[in-house]
Amino acid sequence: MSTQPGSEAFLQLVQQNRGIIFKICNSYCANKNDREDLAQEVIYQLWKSGNSFNGSYKFTTWMYRIALNVAISFYRKENKKGPVISLNENNMDVEDKEGFVYETEENLNLLQQFINELKELDRALMILYLEAKSYAEIAEITGLTETNVSTKINRIKDKLKQKFLTVNK
Amino acid sequence: MEDMELQKIWAEYDRKLEESKVLNLQSWALNFRSFEGIQMQKAKSKLNRLAAFKTRVIVLGILWVLFLCTLIFFKFTWQGIIFNISAGAIALITAIAIVVYIKDVALIRQIDNSENILDTQEKLASLQASTIRIMGILWLQLPFYAIFFLTPAMLHDWNAWQWLIIILTTGLFTFAALWLYKNINYKNRDKKWFRILFNSPEWTSVIKAMNFLDEIEEFKKGN
Repeated sequence: MSTQPGSEAFLQLVQQNRGIIFKICNSYCANKNDREDLAQEVIYQLWKSGNSFNGSYKFTTWMYRIALNVAISFYRKENKKGPVISLNENNMDVEDKEGFVYETEENLNLLQQFINELKELDRALMILYLEAKSYAEIAEITGLTETNVSTKINRIKDKLKQKFLTVNK
Repeated sequence: MEDMELQKIWAEYDRKLEESKVLNLQSWALNFRSFEGIQMQKAKSKLNRLAAFKTRVIVLGILWVLFLCTLIFFKFTWQGIIFNISAGAIALITAIAIVVYIKDVALIRQIDNSENILDTQEKLASLQASTIRIMGILWLQLPFYAIFFLTPAMLHDWNAWQWLIIILTTGLFTFAALWLYKNINYKNRDKKWFRILFNSPEWTSVIKAMNFLDEIEEFKKGN
């Protein structure tokens, strides 16, 4: 499959995985305009780095690396710690549908809030964990060892659980 | 709360995204065809601009070194020996700073967002923090600016007071230069003198980069 930036196959791969871009932008930007700028920057960098994808690892690994690197750099540059993002007032035109359980939505908003409060590197780690990536893949994306990934994730998870408990008291 | 529960909550995110129009390509400007135009606009990214700026500084630095070397080699006189030594030292220190700048430009060329996060972020932060390293090197020129105008004839005619003043001034400048060279590094960024010296807004991003380098180090350790 051709992964040249302009090729249909490449575009299709990015489009199939565009949820990654959305979630990462939401996790690193509180402001809607910033999020759109970041999304564009990520897409541009994917397009620009298209030739660097050589198939030695998964396409999503490559995409996570680029999206997270761009998001962290963008966040450090802007460093606008705005209000917590809520899915309701949200950002990229998320529309509520019937049947979305209120409690789950509230938990999701809380989870987003807690993630946004993490340091930028911990945040990357947690997003990857929540995306159900294996420790090996997380290590490949972040550059940490698998043991380190496991230790850190457990520590962050404990922190998040503690925060949920405090809120739900 | 169970471990899996966090992932379950997050999975709702995907469901919500699937149900909504958020993944509409139009709303996200995900139409890659339009990026042909953006490519031109973004071709001069921040990193490219930084590389261009550093390259200009390198060119200016090389011209300055060449100018000093020309003075030394073509205008050499024994009367101007102290000037020649000072100019030589300043040229050498500038050349060292130029080497650091060249390394920075090479580092900019190496930055690849598709590498792992720690490597890429470390390179980016080091790039910003290197400005501090160059400042430390450039301070070493200080003592030579205190003596470059001296000539053997002048020194021959000087009285004890004049000798004392020049020795004290040069000694003080040398001490300050060596001390600053040794101490201008990010480990001292929280010290009061450091904050006074680098208080202006243009240093804020450099200081932040240093803090981030620390965070990366901590992050790697797994403590």
